Amino acid sequence: MLRIRNLCASIDGKQILRGLNLDVNAGEVHAIMGPNGSGKSTFAQVLAGRDIYGVTADDLTFEGRNLLEMPAELRARNGLFLAFQYPVEIPGVSNLYFLRSAVNAVRAHRGLPELDAVDFLSVARTHAQKLGLDDAMLKRSVNQGFSGGEKKRNEILQMMMLEPRLAILDESDSGLDIDALKIVADGINAMRHPERAIILVTHYQRLLNYIAPDRVHVLIGGSIVRSGTKELALELEQRGYSWLEQPAGVEA
Amino acid sequence: MSAVMTEQNIYATQFSEIAGRLPGRGLAWVDRLRKTAVERFLDLGLPTTRLEDWKFTNVAPIRRLTFRPVNQVNASIPQPLRSQLDLFPSPRLVFVDGLLDRKLSGLAFGTTPPFAEERANGTPPNLGGEFLGLHLAGLSDSLADPNQAAILESHLGRYAETSDRAFAAWNTGFFADGACVMISPGTILTHPVHLVFISTGAGEPRATYPRNLILAGERSQVAVAEVFLSASGGVYLTNAVTEIVAGAGATIDYYKMECESAGGFHVATVKATLDRDASLTSHSISFGAALARNDLRVALDGEGSQCTLNGLFVVDGQRLVDNHTEIDHRKPHATSRELYKGVLAGHAQGVFNGAIIVRKDAQKTDALQRSRNLLLSENAQINTKPQLEIRADDVRCAHGATIGQIDRESMFYLKSRGLDERAARQILIRGFAAEIIEGIRVSSIRQQSEIRLGEWFEGKLEAS
Ligand SMILES: Nc1ncnc2c1ncn2[C@@H]1O[C@H](COP(=O)(O)OP(=O)(O)OP(=O)(O)O)[C@@H](O)[C@H]1O
Ligand SMILES: [Mg+2]
Repeated sequence: MLRIRNLCASIDGKQILRGLNLDVNAGEVHAIMGPNGSGKSTFAQVLAGRDIYGVTADDLTFEGRNLLEMPAELRARNGLFLAFQYPVEIPGVSNLYFLRSAVNAVRAHRGLPELDAVDFLSVARTHAQKLGLDDAMLKRSVNQGFSGGEKKRNEILQMMMLEPRLAILDESDSGLDIDALKIVADGINAMRHPERAIILVTHYQRLLNYIAPDRVHVLIGGSIVRSGTKELALELEQRGYSWLEQPAGVEA
Repeated sequence: MSAVMTEQNIYATQFSEIAGRLPGRGLAWVDRLRKTAVERFLDLGLPTTRLEDWKFTNVAPIRRLTFRPVNQVNASIPQPLRSQLDLFPSPRLVFVDGLLDRKLSGLAFGTTPPFAEERANGTPPNLGGEFLGLHLAGLSDSLADPNQAAILESHLGRYAETSDRAFAAWNTGFFADGACVMISPGTILTHPVHLVFISTGAGEPRATYPRNLILAGERSQVAVAEVFLSASGGVYLTNAVTEIVAGAGATIDYYKMECESAGGFHVATVKATLDRDASLTSHSISFGAALARNDLRVALDGEGSQCTLNGLFVVDGQRLVDNHTEIDHRKPHATSRELYKGVLAGHAQGVFNGAIIVRKDAQKTDALQRSRNLLLSENAQINTKPQLEIRADDVRCAHGATIGQIDRESMFYLKSRGLDERAARQILIRGFAAEIIEGIRVSSIRQQSEIRLGEWFEGKLEAS
C-alpha cells in the first residue's frame, strides 16, 4: 500500500529526514517511535503533503500512485489521513460544517453523492458519542478552546468520518487521561480492517497495549534505525533509545 | 482651481433649479436649513486628500462627474431584485432612486408588502400612521404633515454636523426623501424596520440624497436596518445622512448593508446621539463600490450609555471602502466596543479610521477598539488607524489592529481533509467573517450577508 525508499526532507537548509525506508501493507498496523525532534511529525506531515518541506525520494508511492506529484487534498481524497499532533484551531467555522465539507469533498472524488444534512448529522453523532464528544463539541468552532484531549478525540472523529485507507496518527495518545486513552484506542481498533493500514506515531508503550502493532520502527536522526515486532517497543520502554546506533554523520 | 469652481457652479445652479420643489419648501426652518447647508457645501467644495479625514480616499472621480438629481423615477426594478426584496419583510420603506416607492413599502408587521400588480383592487398601503408605537413614514410626506413637521423641526439637521463636512452639507441642502422612524417611549418593537434604498443606475449619472431620522423614545427598543442595493450597476452617487437619537434607556440595534455596484459611489454619514443609559449596537456590512465611504459617529451623551460598533467589509476588484468611525465619550461611565474586520482581494483598497474621543468630564470611560484585516492579494491595500484623543485621566482605553494573510497551517489542515485551495480559502474567510455575521440579530440581514458573501466568492459582485 505504501512504499518509501530514500525519503529525504529539509526545511530552511536543514535536513530533517535522511533516507527513510518503509513498506506498509493493507491490514497492517505500524508503530513509529523515537526521541523528540527525530523527525516523526515531519515524516507524517510530508506523507500528508505539507508543502513547506523540500522533499525527495527514490520512491514514494501510495497504492501505486506517486505521492510526490499529488497535492495534499488529492492524497486525502485518495484515502490518506493524518491525525495531527497539534490540531489547528479554526475560529468561526463549526466543527460540523467542517466535517461535512471534508466528507463531501472526499465522497465527490469517489463518485458518491453528497450526504444530506440529516444523514450526516446522525452518522457524526454516533461516532462522536463513541468518542465521548457531545453535540456542543460538534457545534463549536473547529478545535477552538478544545482541551488537548478533546482535540485528539476530534481528530479520531474525523478519521472515522473520512474512512481513510491509510491513517497516520501522530501522537493521538499524548495528553489523554486513562479513560480517554481507552476510548481513543477502541476507536482506532474499530478502524482496523484488512483493507486499511494504520501508522501510529507514539512515545508510549501504553497505547500499544491496546493496539497491537504488526511492526515497530525506531526513527532517529531522520531515518529508521531499527525495526522489529511489538517486543521492540517493550525493549525501548526499558532501555530508552541510547543503545540504538545513530546513523553515520548524525549527532545525537 | 477651475475644476473646483466648475463643480461648485454646477451644484449651485442645480440647487436654484430644484429648490422650489424640494420637500419642506415654504417651511421657514427647512428653507433656512437647506440654504445654510448649501452655502456651506459650496464654500467647502468636495474634500481633497489634503484633509486628514480624506487622506486615503480620493473623491476626484466624484468631482469629475456631474450627478443630476432625481425628480421622478422611470426605471423599473428588475425581477431578481424584486425577489430579493422579499427577504426584507415589513415594516419597511423602499426608496427607488431616493424616492419613496409606496407600492413596495408597507407597515403591517411581518408581512411582505404586495407588489403593484399583485395588489388586489389597489388597496392603499398602510403608511404614514402610527402602528403599535411605531411611526414610519417617508420624510417628504412627514414634512407635508404639520404635526410631524413640528417634531421634525426640533430634530432634523440638529445632530449631523455640516460645518466642516461637505457631503453631509450637500445632503442637507439637496435631500428629496428618506425615512422617518419614530418609536414612542416604552415601545418594544418586535419586528425590525427595514429601509431599502435601490439605485437603478439608469441613464446619465444620478445622485440621490437619502435623509433618515430615527428617534427612539425613552426605554424603547428597536432594530432598524438600512440596505443599499443596486438594481443594474451603472454609475451613480448615493449621498446619505442618517440621524439617530436614542432617548434615555433606549436600545437601538442598527444595521447598515452597503451593496452598491462596482461603478457606484456611496458616501454615507450616520450620526447617533445617546442619552443616559441608552445603548446602540451597530453592524455595518460593506461590499464596497467604486468608492464607498461610511462615516459613523456616535456621541455618548449620557452617563452609562454604551455602544458596540461592529463592521465587516469585503472587497475585491478595484473597489474601495473607507470606514471612518468616531466615538465621542462626553459623559462619565460610558462604554464603547468596536470591532471592524476587513477582507481585501484583487486591487481593492480599504480604510479603517477609528477615532475615540474622551472628554474631560468623561471619567470611568471604558473603550475598546479592534481592527482586524485579511489581505488576500499582494495588490490589495488596507490603511488602518486608531485616533485617540483622551482628555480624562481615569479611563480604560485600548486598541489594536492586525493585518494578516490566510494562515498556511490552517490551509494545510483543511487540505489534508480533502478540501481544495478554493474551498479551504472560502472556509477560512467565512470563519473570519463569522465573528461579525454571527452577531447580527436580524435574520434578514444575517442571511443577506451570508448570501452576498457567497456571491462574492463566486465573483458575482465584480460583474454588477
Ligand atoms: N517548519 C520547521 N522549521 C524549522 N525546523 C523544523 C520545522 N519543522 C520541524 N523542524 C525541526 O525538525 C526536527 C524534527 O521535528 P519533528 O516535529 O518532526 O520531530 P518529532 O520527532 O515529531 O518530535 P516530537 O516527538 O517532539 O513530536 C526538529 O528539530 C524540529 O525543530
Ligand atoms: Mg512530533
